[in-house]
Amino acid sequence: MIGFETVATPTGLIIGLLCGLVPLLVGIRYKRIKAGIGGFLACILSGFACGFLGGLPMIVLAVSVVLSYAYVNRQDPFTSRAALSEVTFEISRREQIERTLANLGNNLRASWKALVRNKAGFVGFLGIVFFVGMTVFGPLFIEYEGQARLDRRQPGARALVAPPSAEHLLGLDWKGRDVLSHIVHGGQRLIITSIQAGLIATTLAVALGSVAALVGGVIDQVVSTIANFILTVPAFPLFLVLAAVIDFDNDFMLAVLFGALNWPTLMRAVRAQVFSLRERDYVEAAYALDLGLWHVISREVFPNMVSYIAINLIFTIRVAMYTIVGLVFLGLVPLREPDWAVMIYTGRQQGVLFLPQAAGMLLSPIVAIALFQLSLVLFTRSLEEIFNPRLRSGM
Amino acid sequence: MSISPPAVPPLKSVPGYPLLKFLRRIWQNYYVRIVGQGLLTIWAVTTFTFFLIRQMPGNPVETMIDDLMTRQSLTYEEAYRAAATLFNFDPNRPVTLQYLDFVGGLVRGDLGDSITRGGVSVTSLIVRYLPWTLFCVGSALLISFVLGTLLGLAMGYWRGSWLDNGVTLLASIISGIPDYILALLIILVFGVQLQWFKVGDVRGGVDPNITPGLTFEYIFSILQYALLPMSIYILSSIGTWILSMKSSTISTLGEDYIAVAKARGLSQGRILTDYVGRNAMLPLLTRLAISVGFVVGGSVIIEDMFQYPGLGRNLYIAITGRDYTTMQGIFLVIASAVVFSNILADMAMGWLDPRVRLRKGEETS
Repeated sequence: MIGFETVATPTGLIIGLLCGLVPLLVGIRYKRIKAGIGGFLACILSGFACGFLGGLPMIVLAVSVVLSYAYVNRQDPFTSRAALSEVTFEISRREQIERTLANLGNNLRASWKALVRNKAGFVGFLGIVFFVGMTVFGPLFIEYEGQARLDRRQPGARALVAPPSAEHLLGLDWKGRDVLSHIVHGGQRLIITSIQAGLIATTLAVALGSVAALVGGVIDQVVSTIANFILTVPAFPLFLVLAAVIDFDNDFMLAVLFGALNWPTLMRAVRAQVFSLRERDYVEAAYALDLGLWHVISREVFPNMVSYIAINLIFTIRVAMYTIVGLVFLGLVPLREPDWAVMIYTGRQQGVLFLPQAAGMLLSPIVAIALFQLSLVLFTRSLEEIFNPRLRSGM
Repeated sequence: MSISPPAVPPLKSVPGYPLLKFLRRIWQNYYVRIVGQGLLTIWAVTTFTFFLIRQMPGNPVETMIDDLMTRQSLTYEEAYRAAATLFNFDPNRPVTLQYLDFVGGLVRGDLGDSITRGGVSVTSLIVRYLPWTLFCVGSALLISFVLGTLLGLAMGYWRGSWLDNGVTLLASIISGIPDYILALLIILVFGVQLQWFKVGDVRGGVDPNITPGLTFEYIFSILQYALLPMSIYILSSIGTWILSMKSSTISTLGEDYIAVAKARGLSQGRILTDYVGRNAMLPLLTRLAISVGFVVGGSVIIEDMFQYPGLGRNLYIAITGRDYTTMQGIFLVIASAVVFSNILADMAMGWLDPRVRLRKGEETS
């Protein structure tokens, strides 16, 4: 109802429609019909894909974009036409919300422009959209084949595997099932778990790194020692051992474990960055004003590192996928179909690795993983431009 | 990424205790301190893995006991004794005692015997398989470093040329693909589909039909078998070297001393090698030293895929067979390699970059 389980259900569609009404009405109210309709469509899509999890954030984003077209800042002396005597500096609640939203919308539009401008990054973005779209909406069109299809054995053939044909675009696997259906259905868990793992690792790293640098003292030493320790233990072999110790039936557990082992590198970078930022005047000023640790982190330090952190997040997601696929490839986590990595594993186990006609079955998941990872790497190029104000001001 | 020296409180004068003063002076020495810290880290990692691997479900003896009980219909006690003598390992011995045994052996330089491979000491196992990994991964690392820095230097110097644009695209594509995915792609496309090489021929470390020795044939066969895993290691790591050398070169080119060198009318070759190349390489050398530490672990998946007789594949075998002693030994080797290459990176930085050396001198004196 709330999350991804509403994919391709009428509930999701209704949620999307309801959410879409908000930007549409706002668009009509401010006479920006085109932007309103755009927001309406975006809300339907994300509500359809992720239920309330996608619909509610999309309302905020869509409304902010619509507002950014319509809103005029009355306090800005360059755009306001009001006489100076009429300008009031007491901001009403509504005014403040509108302004924040309009700012967000402006930023979103600027980011979109930066995204489109970098060609490599845009290709990466399209790749990610393609794979996410395929795993989310693909199941609507292509039915999953879980049962062995012995009836598909070609006369005289020794195995059920078949190369691509007009009927089965990517061929048949070792049980005679359609490979395309496995590709479409098999990415969801892998992608979601990798993203979760990357998010956990990045959150830990940012939180620990900034706290260690800003608080210093014993906390800093303890965190640094733990980081040193984790960096010394070889990550992948350790995962091989942990895969036996911990029962990985739960995908989220895998993500948490990955996060717990992969924060140190980013944590060190964040810590070093915060150390150097701490010396800057504006941070010292914030300290002098007694604005508190949380304010300093979220308002002064964090915005300066967003670019670095976002790029690192993408790379951590990549490494997470690398690790998870590697564990499956060695057969160390419970195998569940459909899954791209399991397709490679079974291909190797069934000994079809060396059969020329099994190319469709084996190459498809391999190419899917390689292309997804490639898209992630290319996408970081755009992220650099989106978050780097010096690069962005050039437009 | 280097081990940064933690802040040490200023030397307090300790009245009266010359020995304590002397020890404090030793601890103040930068090198003594980082080596001491390194040893502590190795001990911590080894202890941690020691207890962790004993949490893995099942142990080699239990599987053997089950086997003996069903096949030879022995009682549990008999089967247990038989299995224990076979494996030279007593699973009922308390873990703390096992740990003391392990540490005691370690002090004497003895890592114990492999549990599943009877009569083979872990040390001899490591000595036998480590060279394969060192040779294969190590030379691949060196080749990709040298090639990558040269290419990156040229691309940074002639920015915007066709070489720069083409190689940047290729490098970012290749560095985006995981190594084992690359290996599978190469095997499937060039081995199975195009039949450029026979897939069965590239498994293992050397042709088993050739007698070992310093003959041309033997060495050639080793090279032949290492070619494919090596090129996969090179391909999967070279992109990062190229891209980071390129950005390092570009930032070095903006330095004043390059402009001065140009103004002095030095030849392009001299500027490129002595001024740009040397300085741009500094940050990469630290990373090279750190990657040396990870050579030892090799790549478990690649070695397993090619049945390459290296340390990584043996670690995988030990993990699946619950061979505790072998696992401990290999983890110890890997941790030591990582720690000491970190220290090496730290020292190399000070040695190569006078600015760092001077700062360190101020700190310690």
